[in-house]
Amino acid sequence: MLRKLSLWAASALIAVTSLNFELQESPGDKLIGVWEPSNGRSRIKIDKIGTKYYGRVVWLIEPNDPETNLPKTDKNNPDAALKNVPLKGYRMLKDFVYQTDGTWSEGTIYDPLNGSTYNCVIKMKDKNTLDIRGYIGVQALGRTDVWKRLATAPAKK
Amino acid sequence: MMLRSIWALALATSIGGTLWAQSDSSSTAEDDFSQYDNLGFVDAGAKRFCSPKIEGLSPAKLISLGYDYQGAYNLSASNIFKIEDGTYAFDPNGQLTVISRGSQAKVNATYGVRAGFNIPVISKTNLVWQMGANYWNTQYAYDEPPTTESNLLHQTLSEHGLRTTGVNTTVFKPLSSKTFLLFQGSADLSGTYGIEFMPAQYLRYSAALIYGRRPTEKKQWGLGLARTYRVGEINYIPVVLYNSTDALNKWGAEVLFPARAHVRRTINPRNMLFAGYELEGQSYRLWRDPASGVDLRKEDLEIRRGEARFRMVYEFSLKDFIWLSVQAGYRLQYRFDVDRLVDGVEIYRAFGLLRDDSYAQNNVLGNPLYFNVSLNLVSP
Repeated sequence: MLRKLSLWAASALIAVTSLNFELQESPGDKLIGVWEPSNGRSRIKIDKIGTKYYGRVVWLIEPNDPETNLPKTDKNNPDAALKNVPLKGYRMLKDFVYQTDGTWSEGTIYDPLNGSTYNCVIKMKDKNTLDIRGYIGVQALGRTDVWKRLATAPAKK
Repeated sequence: MMLRSIWALALATSIGGTLWAQSDSSSTAEDDFSQYDNLGFVDAGAKRFCSPKIEGLSPAKLISLGYDYQGAYNLSASNIFKIEDGTYAFDPNGQLTVISRGSQAKVNATYGVRAGFNIPVISKTNLVWQMGANYWNTQYAYDEPPTTESNLLHQTLSEHGLRTTGVNTTVFKPLSSKTFLLFQGSADLSGTYGIEFMPAQYLRYSAALIYGRRPTEKKQWGLGLARTYRVGEINYIPVVLYNSTDALNKWGAEVLFPARAHVRRTINPRNMLFAGYELEGQSYRLWRDPASGVDLRKEDLEIRRGEARFRMVYEFSLKDFIWLSVQAGYRLQYRFDVDRLVDGVEIYRAFGLLRDDSYAQNNVLGNPLYFNVSLNLVSP
């Protein structure tokens, strides 16, 4: 009887802990997921590390470099030490912090096409649409791209 | 013992959950990137639209501050004839009526500041709208400063130079993932004015509308129609847009024919070399300060400046988003004639097909070498 009660208590504790864990999720966590930029040429998975959000390239429409026929690397990076880092898995969104106004800011976005890093602010237009604005110094000097959320289960054909 | 173990397990699970929440939420299985190969939008109705740029295109300039310099050349100014009803007016002796006698002069240099900025107002997947402004100042340094006895054109250019102040807008409207509409419009005030601006009635409007296709990430083309002053006077012409980059991102073309066409050699994304040409031109109102002696305001005279610039351009990143653009080439005059508007109304000649009105003054310029350098803040 004591053993049954103990098992029940342990299960209840685990359930409560899990519920508590769920309740502790930040409203900023709705950013987590797999997203596709407007040009459809890559897919970015956004995750949370500590209190900040990061995005990694997880898919490329053209995964190989046409010049070498090997997997693409970050060859346009101005830092020579990073030119051989594979683009797949590259962390192109960094250090985003969820703000009380509902945006994610204080982060940067990296453009592998030209090796430039820009200031960036992310706004969620709806739960499946992001406005990603890369800018130089002030937001007026920037460009916004719209990213769409992808279903993580395979698409129906 | 069993109870203690279960509590320990529960505690460990709780702590583990907390630690997990604070660590990289990317899973260890993520290096299997194939799981992202076949994903669809959560929103079934989400559409893809083509972007305004193609891969490898030279970066757009948000802010530009430059200096333009043309070398020495001769400027042969003809008589300024009186024009009535689109043809030359004759005096009672049967001679052409002359307002100002022609003369030739040497211009040692033509130079000036060129500044512009373009700011994205709306930048969405389904609409990009940009607004901008520009200011060009062109000064003429004569070998011998013209006097009141000189031709009016020389006096005006020497004392006042030519100036253009304008605003412009660009709207890119993607229709699908492969097709788009592009509209460019501008309103420019060009003339010999100084601090005191000319009235807005002398604004000159240019516009172009292009329907385009973007079959791949590295190619876009389009066809359209433009109202332009690029050869000095008003014209309505077809335009062709063509931008492309080769598979290795080494070579490309950036063309908006007939306004400009360049072959691009990409050394790397921060170093680009171009060879090609650009047509430049405007219609400049002759508008002198009455205090300087001669007031041309009522004469309705405009300099129709049109020229082609064949050039090499080198653009590179100085640091991050600050780019330097250096160009050198040959300036070829197409037109520098003075037109007299009929009752202030534009003359649309359509290259002589619709009308063949005489110019009030026919001028010939030598063709010098030129260079241009500009510092630019480029767009993300």
